[in-house]
Amino acid sequence: MNVELKNINKHFGKVHANKDITLNIPSGTIQGILGENGAGKSTLMKILSGFIQADSGSQIILDGKSVVMNSPADAIQYGIGMLHQDPLDFPPMKILDNFLLGIPGSFFPNRKEATQDFNLLAKEYGFSLDPENYVDSLTVGERQQLEIMRLLFLGVRVFILDEPTTGISAAQKEKLFTTLKKFPEQAMTVIFVSHKLEDVESLCDRVAVLRAGQLVGTLNPPYQTKKIVEMMFGKEITLGERKPANVGEPVLSFDNISLEDARLRIKNINLEVREHEVIGLAGMEGSGQDLFMRACAGLVRPVGGKIQLKGQDLSGKSYHAFKQVGVNFLPAARLEEGLIPGLSLTDHFILAEQPRGIFIDRIAGQRLAEERIQSFNIRGTPLSPIESLSGGNQQRAELALLQNPLSLILLEHPTRGLDIESVIYIWSKLKERCHHGTSIIFISSDLEEILQYSDRVLVFFSGKVSQPLDANKTSVEELGQLIGGKGWAEIGDTHA
Amino acid sequence: MRKNFARLVSLLFVFVFALSACGTPATTEVPAATDAPAATEAPVATEAAPTEAEPFVFGMLLVGPYNDGGWSQAHYEAGLYVEEKLGAKMIYLDKVNPADRPGTTPDQLAEELVAQGAKLVIFNSDDMKDASTTFAKANPDVYVIMASGDQVWSDGKAYEEISNLMNIMGRMEYGKMIAGCAAALSSTTGKIGYLGPLINDETRRLTASAYLGAKHCWEQAGNDPASLEFKVTWIGFWFHIPGFTTDPVDVSKDFYTTGYDVVISGIDNSVNLPEAKKITDEGTPVFAVAYDYINACDVAPDVCLGVPFFNWGPDYLKAIQSAADGSWQSQFLWNGPDWSDLNNHDTSAIGFVKGNALSAEDSATLDAFIADLAGGLNLWTGPINLQDGTPYLADGEVASDQQVWYLPQLLEGMQGLSASE
Amino acid sequence: MLKSRFSGLLFQLIALALSFGVVSLILISIDASPSEAFRNMFKGSFGEMRKFAEVLVAFVPLLLVTAGLLVTFSAGLWNIGVEGQVVLGAIATTWVYRYFLESDLPPALIITLAILGGMIGGAIWAAFTGILKVFGGVNEIFGGLGLNFVATALTIYLIFGPWKRPGVASMSGTIPFPDEFSLPLIENLRISPWALGIALIAIIIVFFLLQGTYFGLKLKAVGKNFRAAYLLGIPTWQYSMYSFLICGALAGLAGAMQVAAVYHRLIPSISSGYGYLGLMVAMLINYQAIWAIPVALFFAALNIGSIQLPIVMKLDSSLSGVLQGVLVLFALLVEGARQKFIKKGQNT
Repeated sequence: MNVELKNINKHFGKVHANKDITLNIPSGTIQGILGENGAGKSTLMKILSGFIQADSGSQIILDGKSVVMNSPADAIQYGIGMLHQDPLDFPPMKILDNFLLGIPGSFFPNRKEATQDFNLLAKEYGFSLDPENYVDSLTVGERQQLEIMRLLFLGVRVFILDEPTTGISAAQKEKLFTTLKKFPEQAMTVIFVSHKLEDVESLCDRVAVLRAGQLVGTLNPPYQTKKIVEMMFGKEITLGERKPANVGEPVLSFDNISLEDARLRIKNINLEVREHEVIGLAGMEGSGQDLFMRACAGLVRPVGGKIQLKGQDLSGKSYHAFKQVGVNFLPAARLEEGLIPGLSLTDHFILAEQPRGIFIDRIAGQRLAEERIQSFNIRGTPLSPIESLSGGNQQRAELALLQNPLSLILLEHPTRGLDIESVIYIWSKLKERCHHGTSIIFISSDLEEILQYSDRVLVFFSGKVSQPLDANKTSVEELGQLIGGKGWAEIGDTHA
Repeated sequence: MRKNFARLVSLLFVFVFALSACGTPATTEVPAATDAPAATEAPVATEAAPTEAEPFVFGMLLVGPYNDGGWSQAHYEAGLYVEEKLGAKMIYLDKVNPADRPGTTPDQLAEELVAQGAKLVIFNSDDMKDASTTFAKANPDVYVIMASGDQVWSDGKAYEEISNLMNIMGRMEYGKMIAGCAAALSSTTGKIGYLGPLINDETRRLTASAYLGAKHCWEQAGNDPASLEFKVTWIGFWFHIPGFTTDPVDVSKDFYTTGYDVVISGIDNSVNLPEAKKITDEGTPVFAVAYDYINACDVAPDVCLGVPFFNWGPDYLKAIQSAADGSWQSQFLWNGPDWSDLNNHDTSAIGFVKGNALSAEDSATLDAFIADLAGGLNLWTGPINLQDGTPYLADGEVASDQQVWYLPQLLEGMQGLSASE
Repeated sequence: MLKSRFSGLLFQLIALALSFGVVSLILISIDASPSEAFRNMFKGSFGEMRKFAEVLVAFVPLLLVTAGLLVTFSAGLWNIGVEGQVVLGAIATTWVYRYFLESDLPPALIITLAILGGMIGGAIWAAFTGILKVFGGVNEIFGGLGLNFVATALTIYLIFGPWKRPGVASMSGTIPFPDEFSLPLIENLRISPWALGIALIAIIIVFFLLQGTYFGLKLKAVGKNFRAAYLLGIPTWQYSMYSFLICGALAGLAGAMQVAAVYHRLIPSISSGYGYLGLMVAMLINYQAIWAIPVALFFAALNIGSIQLPIVMKLDSSLSGVLQGVLVLFALLVEGARQKFIKKGQNT
């Protein structure tokens, strides 16, 4: 389907989010949309998918016909479907029920037939989802797979993906790209929104770059990374140099720890994390790294072994006991687990200080909030409700909630969905903490990020944990092999 | 999404329960305006108010709906009677009970009637006795009639001198005896059920009266006294309040389906009638005796053996007249029927209307029984034992008014609770 | 901020107008004059001191219940069980009174103990809902509803059973307590200044608890995002329990006031539906303590004013209940519309 956007304008109050954007996307192409956070990508895509309406005068033309879409349902009628940055599904439901949602005329769905269709579709794209499982048991990557399947099943012809590669593993990304590359053959159009240059470069037939609400230009392969970065940011950016850490006293030690949840079992992990050290956890979604991290936070109780933090035995102790010793955990699902929608930035900072006493000192709270907002470069006011901030600013706010001092910071996907400027900023803040003696353990699906910022790396593959690998001596390719389950014999895992 | 749904569900619950808490049962239709006494009605000239331009205003608090076909309607129509005879004006408030008017007290509501001009207030339920005392003491310039109460009975157990309060009650004992007799005459199984409201002095003595009447006529008909079963089941209040009382319809049904072929109503309405009709229509002929209101049989005339009813009009007329002309006297009135004309609207405090279901033969027997009562037959004559076997009246001993009024238990031979467990 | 607050007020006024409109239509449909009905209701509630005192009698328990519900709502809990907590407060108060019926202790002490007993009774009943929720995974709405039924059944059992009047088994309640057990009333009026004072102090305390204390902020955090609050280091389930206990104690206090200042005995419908009415008030004020006093007063006035309807106009008093229900519905509806309105004109 040929998609033509003509003079798209969108105002949110005083903010001009999309400025007169005109873009023609021919049928059967994979169109990349690049831009930093807040560049207007999401707004444009929401307009195209019917979630919001553009200002008058804007035009959307599908196969030469001007259309008006008042809701996502309208958009789907026209064959336009969108996969969101935050997967929009219904956690307490079964996967199959979620899949059936939105299918017209399915008041009494034929479950058996639907299960067959589901499995067929899943097989075609190599997704391994159990239709009878519950959605809340899925990883972010799996939820996205489900959403993709659902949209495919609804007969979507124009496929909008908003930051689809964040939060999914390299292998899942590989699968996704293979899938997407098949779409143009069937005359489907893919619009791929990302801030990751390498993804766009490897996938897209053409790229449009947005900056500050405007279309700054379109590019065709072969791409020049430097040129794209310049278009995105209006300036050149370089990554910080990695310095070897000065490793200090032990902070966390795992002694023969065994972990278990409904899906996997990890046996006999032995690990010592020292001051100043950064440990990256690599692996496909759901390979056990999240379980491992929650055990470090005291949120999951090991079924065996001994955990020590700063010399204290914390085996079997609660999350609060861990917190007392200086462990902070920042979950990936920001608005679900990390922050409290409805409360302001100030409220968050007050709460994070673990206040004692009875009456709130509002003035001190306000001052604290202003300080943190400035030092963490958060775009918002002390009284802004947390949910009104953009994703990147929410992430900065989460970081700003970390107590000081801390012995161990646990991070799940600390930079997922953020533009490169934010990523660099956040890591500089984290490195600062490391410098003062804090250890960091983080999960990322971005292998380059892991190698860039970790001292040592643990690789997880279906319940197996590798020996800590020296990040300096490991390449992205090796890591990619390991998380895919290859090459384990050479490195050995932590099994005793 | 999930949260919104929970919110919606909870909202739904809140409203369902808030509404039910507001207490709006099916009977709460707005009273038709035609039933209401016209405020502009010209006063009928009587000796009571010859010079007054303004009609005397009296208020009435009814425990049930004014059109309940029972206790409260009997009061309401007595009020209309007084309006007509005296040229007075009635203002009333019905459903004065804690379930229908939560958060209010009868004395508070009586004050609302006074605020509307009432110079006399009738409290129509035993349930309001404490409130009537409180109100009478707090408002010495307002006349109070506490129907069915005994506060100003100088021979009573709880006598208090309250000069602006009067107690009025009909001697329904006679009505209940006649009802019991009609039931015994018509019963083929010899099992009579009594639909009791709550347990107190009044309900014990009335239930016992029905039993005495039934026993008398059962024996007179030549039956074995031991073969008569008389059982009372109490529902817990004067009428059904869902959630708080037992459902009298269920109680009636239980009676009828367990061999009791007559159920006598002792509650404020006669819901046993429709149930009797239903059972009869299904092929098992059963009977019902209504209560309180003269036309109570009309609901299901073909199963109705009759209705003992209150005729509050004459006593209310006298009392209100005395309040209007200043001859008021605090007193305890417990008047019986006018034996010369049992159903005389102007003279008899209680009466009995026979129902269609009573056979001609039984009707004649019943008339004879009424004649005996008129002639001085007193069934409250010993030997009578209380339910637990304690002697109550020695052989030949006649019960005093106090003994009858304050009957401590049901009588020997009756089944059912004398007091709550 | 200011603008949104102003628009909030404007929209609430629209809701109020709409609800009066709907009730007027109902009245017109049965040939009654709306203006006369509203005038009578107004006169019946604010027309004279005595009537206003009756309004305050209803206002006291309603305000206490609303105060309690603000706490549980802040913690994200729908404490439908508040009705039963009022009942248990009344039962506990009655129990203490009965216990000291023959005692020589000064009445003031007995009244104090009885009121404290009521608070404890309500809190214990709320704790059951809390325990079911926290440890049994039973949603507080269903647990609370169940316990409400149990509370009613318990009242009826006590009134018909152990606490019956001698020789009587009636729903009309237990035997009234001696006059010295009553909270002092204003002369010739039924309102106790003590009860009014207690209720006002309670709402003020709740206001400051929620607005100005760490406790309140943590409670809100738990209410808005249980998981994140836990990760922030707030002992979440304990806070849920605290909110139940506080709400239960305030509801129990309402029950205690019903016994100590209004009925002077236990009656079957001692809670008078104030629990459910309080839920409506709490929803209507969008869980902001500052509006509790005027709105609870308004609802109490509707309840009392509506008594005039059957007396003067032969209308059913449940009209006030209709008005209250419609008002809450419109308020929620209009608030939803306003949110949409705001979203349209704002950045996301």
